[in-house]
Amino acid sequence: MNLHVFEGFGDILIEVSYALIPLILFFIIFQFIMLKLDKQRIYRIILGFTLTFFGLAFFLQGVHIGFFPVGHMMGEALGSDEHVWLLMPIGFVLGFAATFAEPAVSIMNSEVDKVTGGYISEKVMLYTVSTGVGISVALSMFRILYGIPLWYFLIPGYLIALILIFFSNKTFIAIAFDCGGVATGPMTVTFISAMAVGAASVIEGRHPLTDGFGLIALVALTPIITVLIVGLIFTRKGGDENDEPES
Amino acid sequence: MENVRDTFKEVAAAILPVTVVVILLQIVFIQLPLEALLQFLIGAAFVGLGFFLFLLGVTAGLLPVGEMIGKQLPKTRNIFIIVGTGFLLGFVVTIAEPDVRVLTKQINLVSDGAIGAGMLVLSVALGLAIFVALAMIRIIFSIPIHYMLIGGYVLVFTLSLFVPNEFIAISFDAGGVTTGPMAVPFILALGVGVASILRSGSSAAGEGFGLIGLASIGPILAIMILGVLFQ
Repeated sequence: MNLHVFEGFGDILIEVSYALIPLILFFIIFQFIMLKLDKQRIYRIILGFTLTFFGLAFFLQGVHIGFFPVGHMMGEALGSDEHVWLLMPIGFVLGFAATFAEPAVSIMNSEVDKVTGGYISEKVMLYTVSTGVGISVALSMFRILYGIPLWYFLIPGYLIALILIFFSNKTFIAIAFDCGGVATGPMTVTFISAMAVGAASVIEGRHPLTDGFGLIALVALTPIITVLIVGLIFTRKGGDENDEPES
Repeated sequence: MENVRDTFKEVAAAILPVTVVVILLQIVFIQLPLEALLQFLIGAAFVGLGFFLFLLGVTAGLLPVGEMIGKQLPKTRNIFIIVGTGFLLGFVVTIAEPDVRVLTKQINLVSDGAIGAGMLVLSVALGLAIFVALAMIRIIFSIPIHYMLIGGYVLVFTLSLFVPNEFIAISFDAGGVTTGPMAVPFILALGVGVASILRSGSSAAGEGFGLIGLASIGPILAIMILGVLFQ
């Protein structure tokens, strides 16, 4: 058996150093011109940077030796299988699983719960957003299977969001667009996206660069539309009357 | 210690469900060689450990500094310094953002090195930095958030008419990944700090909202422009 554990780790360490140097310089400049923190604080910051350094290094190494190659392999295996349609339900389950437990999503849900005074509960939000992301991943796989341009999903998606903005109040607009990124957690970007690229690379007539990517974009659109619709339902029910619609 | 336990739970919650689904998939549908499954599990352990250390380092060591800067910055009462710092901070945190690293690596891999990872990271960071600076200007002059969101997306869709096809998908993906565990807390800390000092009163708390949404438009535009230049 031939396992790769630390292959390429040296390159990763160099990359991570480059990634953190600008932030360290930024901190040093502010320390001298503005913050002037005492020694104890500085030790804490150095500890913070050390943890961040090794954290980033292990994270990227894990993606490099595990998630990329195996995600790619699984995508290839499913893409060349006679039951290639399985990509869609599997995509749905993966998207749902990645979102259901994602901490950033639960923060968003509790925020919506708070803003609506409990009318839209955390639980309702959790199921809605997780299902939404599941559908987005399944749609991305559908796109790859049939070679449909990303536009056909992005334009209607953003058009719906844009129209909803005109009927929504300020609070929900802000929360909705902030939440675009919450569903694109560490698993979506690393593993699920690699699977899509893998599938696109073996299905005939597809190009991994144009068809394999775009999954993250669709996943990011889901919470935006969900929160806007939820906000609309809430306002229409006569929710927060102090907050006038924006347009 | 409380913090350590919470972070551990957070990381486990983010990684375990998908790992379990992949193991089930392996057993039921796709019989990849056992080596591949082991490789995946080692990867998952590394990602979990790395994410845990990373979050711990950011929340305990780095983020408090971001908050301090956010609080002290507006006291300078100098628009150029506030906007300039927003720009710089946006730039340096994106360069260190793990999700951005992962996406750009994958693009580099798929394009066989034609689209370099370093160039992509710099473009994304520049795009985000410009939009964080714009977000600061928005807070200072109380420009309504939806004007800027609509304006930003109109610009995105107009520009997209001129962008080569290969760059469309990756530009929108770049918009999704910049809002990761590094950039989000820093940008929020800065935005909320600036808003709470410059505008005392009831609206201050809400002003922090919308920052992230606005910021993620920048990278989309940046990669699109890169695509136009690449032609």
